[in-house]
Amino acid sequence: MSEKTQAYGIDLRAVAPHLLLPLAILGVVAVFAMLQPAMLSADNAVNIMKQSSLFFFVACAQLVVIITRGFDLSVGATVSLVSVASSMAMTALLPSIGAGASIFVGVVLGLLIGAAIGAVNGALVAYGRINPFVVTLATMSVFTGVATTISGGFPIFNLPDAFTFAFNQMTILLLPIPLVIAGLVAFALHFSLTRTVHGRVLYVLGDSNEVAHVGGRRVKEHLFLAYVTSGVLASVAGLLMTAQTGSGEPNLGTSLVLSSIAAAVIGGASLRGGTGGISAPVYGSLLIVCLSIGMNLQQINGSLQPVVIGAILVFGAALDAYRTKSR
Amino acid sequence: MTAIAASQQSRLGRVMKAIGILPVVLIITCILLALYEPRFLRTSNLINVLRNASFLAIISAGQMLVIIVGGFDISVGAIVALTSVSTALSMVGLSTIGIESAPLIVLLGCLAGLVPALVVGIVNGFFVSVMKISPFMVTIGTMTMAAGIAGYVTGGTPIYDMPELFTREIGRGRFLELPYIVYAAAIVLLALWYMQTQTRLGRYFYAVGGNEKASRLSGLNTRKYIWLAYILSALLAGIVGIFLTARVGSGEATLGSTLMLESISVAVIGGVALKGGVGRIQMVALSAIFLSVLSNGMSLARIDSKYHIIIIGLVIIIAVAAESYRENRRSRHV
Repeated sequence: MSEKTQAYGIDLRAVAPHLLLPLAILGVVAVFAMLQPAMLSADNAVNIMKQSSLFFFVACAQLVVIITRGFDLSVGATVSLVSVASSMAMTALLPSIGAGASIFVGVVLGLLIGAAIGAVNGALVAYGRINPFVVTLATMSVFTGVATTISGGFPIFNLPDAFTFAFNQMTILLLPIPLVIAGLVAFALHFSLTRTVHGRVLYVLGDSNEVAHVGGRRVKEHLFLAYVTSGVLASVAGLLMTAQTGSGEPNLGTSLVLSSIAAAVIGGASLRGGTGGISAPVYGSLLIVCLSIGMNLQQINGSLQPVVIGAILVFGAALDAYRTKSR
Repeated sequence: MTAIAASQQSRLGRVMKAIGILPVVLIITCILLALYEPRFLRTSNLINVLRNASFLAIISAGQMLVIIVGGFDISVGAIVALTSVSTALSMVGLSTIGIESAPLIVLLGCLAGLVPALVVGIVNGFFVSVMKISPFMVTIGTMTMAAGIAGYVTGGTPIYDMPELFTREIGRGRFLELPYIVYAAAIVLLALWYMQTQTRLGRYFYAVGGNEKASRLSGLNTRKYIWLAYILSALLAGIVGIFLTARVGSGEATLGSTLMLESISVAVIGGVALKGGVGRIQMVALSAIFLSVLSNGMSLARIDSKYHIIIIGLVIIIAVAAESYRENRRSRHV
């Protein structure tokens, strides 16, 4: 059995990461395009670009910690809290200091909250040496509670129009703004993962904790930083999604935890750590967004959609196990 | 003088090590609550606490088994919802095909209701033990699928029209003042205690979780025990689903949504180590009582339910931080 998989695992392994996912994405688009021609309309193309850019950030947030053999279950809570807190700040400051300054304060506050949540996770995981699953499960619970508490559970409306314009509707050279920001972030993240010591340490950390320590780097600081990065990326997602919906929503991120992990793992990041580049969140988010937009166009029952995502998740994990075995 | 103090301290330390800090915290919490809010000690309230603790203890016992063999079960909450829907549907179905006797409908309905739970457990166990996929991914996947199916089947509306025997007698009935679920929990806990301490099966679970490779090399069929742990966890979650359905009187696809988080909290607070191989059912039971007392206290003190998850989250962090502090100190001494 194991010999057999190894025999043709080599061929597959060389080709699969480069071709399998783009083909799968094209296949999904083609199938839905046959069922619903609207899938290929210009409006829908823009929609796919926007949605997958938004989703890309949470998938990246997940990737950074999955590389270190960690998890971040609190990305959804971060998105919700950032959405609520920056909306409240913007709407509260809007009359007194004007649109520009209040948007600035709101965005900075959002990023700071993301960094702070990441710092809490990172401190407990790196310095407290507590299992990342439990840490982020607990912070997820705490910050979801904070988000619903400060908002009272209701959406926050009346955001400055300039905010939704600048972070959602604006286009630069025909490209929607979320896509532009996603591109910049993708480039920066790719650079830091492949060309910096910090990035290399994260991969080594995921491969083997001991080796990373023997290597003599200040491993804990790098691990801490990975969680802070994850928190900041999640907060960017929170800000952009708030601009998309046009209101601060206390349950904006609830469904994101699962799908962000699914996106990173289907894209090729292994839960055993140490692998996965920037292509993982790119492919993963495109695949999941194309699927869910296609299912919406096809008017598939809302409760059945998670069933499909769950099946893909298990399939992606099986693929991951297969890849690890053949290595 | 200092020597006596030191020896006393070490004796205290030994006692603490044997029973842990949880019973002390539980007793202190109860005393503070009783002083602050006399309503806490009313019989009706205590029975209420005991009932919630029973639900929690059963589902957390399953979670404990899975964590002991080195895994996780995220799907327990969704299994509760799925069982609720399937139990209600099968009872309604059985009465429409013309079965008259209520006890027969209830019995067959409960058995049929457990089938989906069993299937989820078998699927979880298969992917984790045979396919060697991360338990986290597997159970989060089956969780979404189970919850989605439950939501799809009900279409968002609860299922009513179950026999009175089920909703009134099993759901709200009492034997010697205590609800039936308390006896169910006692039986489950006793059975698991017996299994963990007195049988080979129990030792094998610990062995597999403590060091899977060593257990396999010494001839244990590790796959079998890992698989079994997921099946037992799913069945225990299913039992909780049946009792909760009887209690609320309808099959609901949203039942048990908080139980996943709570069952993991109970296990972690009860000292079940996430790296596997460690965990005792007595402590899990105590921890279930502790969590129920805590949320009961928060309700009595009229703390908004939105704060509950914040406080439970904080308690988890404190519990695991204490655990890892103890672990680090122990490894430094050795």
